[in-house]
Amino acid sequence: MSGEEEENAAELKIGEEFLKAKCLMNCEVSLILEHKYEQLQQMSEDPMNQVSQVFEKSLQYVKRFSRYKNPDAVRQVREILSRYQLAEFELCVLGNLCPETVEEAIAMVPSIKTKGRAHDDEAIEKMLNDLSLIKKFE
Amino acid sequence: MFLKAELPWNVVIPAENLDVKGLMLQKEIIIRLLDEFSTKKATKDFGYFLAVTSLDKIGEGKVRQLTGDVLFPVVFSCITFKLLRGEILEGVVHKVLKHGVLLRCGPVENVYLSSLKMPDYKHMPGENPCFLNDKSSKIEKDVMIRFIVIGTKWLEADREFQALVSLDGDYLGPVA
Repeated sequence: MSGEEEENAAELKIGEEFLKAKCLMNCEVSLILEHKYEQLQQMSEDPMNQVSQVFEKSLQYVKRFSRYKNPDAVRQVREILSRYQLAEFELCVLGNLCPETVEEAIAMVPSIKTKGRAHDDEAIEKMLNDLSLIKKFE
Repeated sequence: MFLKAELPWNVVIPAENLDVKGLMLQKEIIIRLLDEFSTKKATKDFGYFLAVTSLDKIGEGKVRQLTGDVLFPVVFSCITFKLLRGEILEGVVHKVLKHGVLLRCGPVENVYLSSLKMPDYKHMPGENPCFLNDKSSKIEKDVMIRFIVIGTKWLEADREFQALVSLDGDYLGPVA
């Protein structure tokens, strides 16, 4: 299958471009695509005809798989996760899957527990609590 | 994973579309760019092309000698989507087959979860076929599933990706 045999997101072995590039959470993509779609709606009567299939399918997907809808909440999620020295990729996986327990968080992003990184269970627990608070007050 | 990427591209404006007024030219470049962006659909390296978010730079145009068309180097920002090996994602079942299920994940239609990669689930034939395990967890059409990507394949002819996924791991499976 994949040409780059080395690639393994679980160990954060992903292409340079992914480590540096800005990853986006589903909820962020949802805000951007919905805004684009609204712009098209104002310009044309049949906006669905104006967008590519890739756009349409992605919009449907991110609408269904966004844990946070409110733009302020979306901003806060990124802000809070940014305090925890995560790679862009890790940050977005956590924001997308919203694990409920420390054990689940480590299963979703095994790389946060690799040696030499400062994430003990307590720090992860605090991060998850902060996230669930946003959800509660959204 | 969705990514925000900055890409350099060349946009060719045919000679007959060139206009003396600069503003019209800029509009023409944007229209061309958007058009090519959605026609291109995806590339092996960047994955699927969703939407252009901004046009950041328009370089100096170069005239092509034979046709008189003008080529503009541009830099723009866009949103892309690519499945990575080892990544954990969620998707929706859209087809139940005898030996596994097909899921939709973002713009990708062919995400295959083979029955070999969910060994505790058994296929149940019938009018609404599904996969069931001992704990009555059910995988059928429209169910949301959390999975891990074990392989991806780029199909040049269709400009499309396929992916193989698995439920082998903790906290993977149908999600409420």
